[in-house]
Amino acid sequence: MTVPPWGRIAVGTPEPVFEPRPPGPYAFDHPDTACDGWSTDRFALRLASVRGSGHRYYGRPRQDAARATAHPGTGSVVFAVADGVSSAAEAEYGATEACRAAVERLLHLLEAGPGPLDLASVVTHAAERLRELARWRLQSADPAPAEVAGLYATTLVAGAVRPGPEGARVELCRVGDSGAWLLDRAEGGYLPLFTAKNAPEAVVVSQTVSPLPRVPDQLEQLTAQLAAPDLLLVGTDGFGDPLGDGDGQVGAHFTRALATPPPPLGFGHLLDFSRETFDDDRTLLAVWPEAGPR
Amino acid sequence: MAETRGVLLPAYVVADESASMGPYQRELDEGVTSLCEGLRASPMLAAKLRLAVLGFSDDVQVRLAVADMRTETTVPRLQIRGLTRYRSAFDDLLHRIPADIRWLRSEGYRVHRPVVFFLSDGQPTDGDAWRAPHAELTDKYRSPAAPNIVACGIGDAEARTMVEVATRPEFAFVAKAGADLGQAISEFFHALTASLVASSQALGSGEPTLVVQRPEHFTLAIDEVVL
Repeated sequence: MTVPPWGRIAVGTPEPVFEPRPPGPYAFDHPDTACDGWSTDRFALRLASVRGSGHRYYGRPRQDAARATAHPGTGSVVFAVADGVSSAAEAEYGATEACRAAVERLLHLLEAGPGPLDLASVVTHAAERLRELARWRLQSADPAPAEVAGLYATTLVAGAVRPGPEGARVELCRVGDSGAWLLDRAEGGYLPLFTAKNAPEAVVVSQTVSPLPRVPDQLEQLTAQLAAPDLLLVGTDGFGDPLGDGDGQVGAHFTRALATPPPPLGFGHLLDFSRETFDDDRTLLAVWPEAGPR
Repeated sequence: MAETRGVLLPAYVVADESASMGPYQRELDEGVTSLCEGLRASPMLAAKLRLAVLGFSDDVQVRLAVADMRTETTVPRLQIRGLTRYRSAFDDLLHRIPADIRWLRSEGYRVHRPVVFFLSDGQPTDGDAWRAPHAELTDKYRSPAAPNIVACGIGDAEARTMVEVATRPEFAFVAKAGADLGQAISEFFHALTASLVASSQALGSGEPTLVVQRPEHFTLAIDEVVL
């Protein structure tokens, strides 16, 4: 048996090669890499979340998270992706809990019946989960919003892909600067579903985000149809920043490999590409509007 | 947003070369050398940084043009000369920073807000002449690439002046009374390197974070200002 070449794939100038440092004694619930993948009758899903090389180098845990599940009653795929804000003391827990709370709420909404998903309630539920966690962590009945944010601030993109009479329908919401795209597998174009965090003409890069537990007055949410040759991508800025508008080497790297769903470990390997200065955690979730090969 | 080669932090060391720094040439040389060596030993940091070293007195002289320290082989050397004209420093940065950013963008990079580490051992000898270019440089409406300025004063540099030069009160430091000035210069460069390391870990992770480490034997200037 030959061992596959598991070294990081260089896209442009790669980063230095080094052995990652451990992420701290209490980070054992947040492994370096997580990946998942399966198909329902209608959809294929792949997700991966990889520790950025900055965190690997300096011995910090992965602060991104993702969760996905299928809802058998409706044939839907439900998911959440989060990017814990690095200044939060326990960002990795914030990201994980926000995803878990969002997916639980989405499942509850699908159980409750048809009709548009109340995505505002998904975000509110996730924010409340962070407050609950802070109450437990601080042993305080009513932690201030700044205390909750100081522990668990995180971005969140959550939503579902549901089969419908006119094809698959995507419903998404977000808080913060994570993103979502439709990748046209035929043409290779990436259509951003949310506005970019930095305008192309911006002289300097802005890193200001407004994360959970703050719930914006006007929640960013959208619906879209999902049909071949498109596939849905949801990712943190660790993926979105190097992707840019998708017409460069990073875009081509994914377009080449995502024509059909790759094995989950292969999807993680793909996401863990090496490109100089792009050392943030990366999380990417993909939904194909057809089942993967059985 | 087109695909970028990377996102960089432009960092400028702006050091006083006026005659009163003369006794400390050795510490200045060693500080610059240790900064350069520290960056070369930190490839993850150096990849995300472009460093310039400028000496100011009657005018500004470029000791190191904005450079990739992984490949830069020369060690810049500050040269003692002239008076302490703050205006020369801010006039220069007002034009230099936008030009450097244009160049980096033309090379396919995007940039974080630049950071300036300002070191002086004296009060400005040009009175208030520096205030207008400084105000323009730090006004984000007039200067979209307005830098964060960290100001460190030693010797005769007054706390109030450092607070006025720095872009935030917590970015202004003065050497403690009676501190050895040579040692203070060394500590300035140590803290500068440590601040760049800490900032590079925070950059690109969802927060507009410039992490500034207080140099040993310095105090926050704002604590020294009598309001």
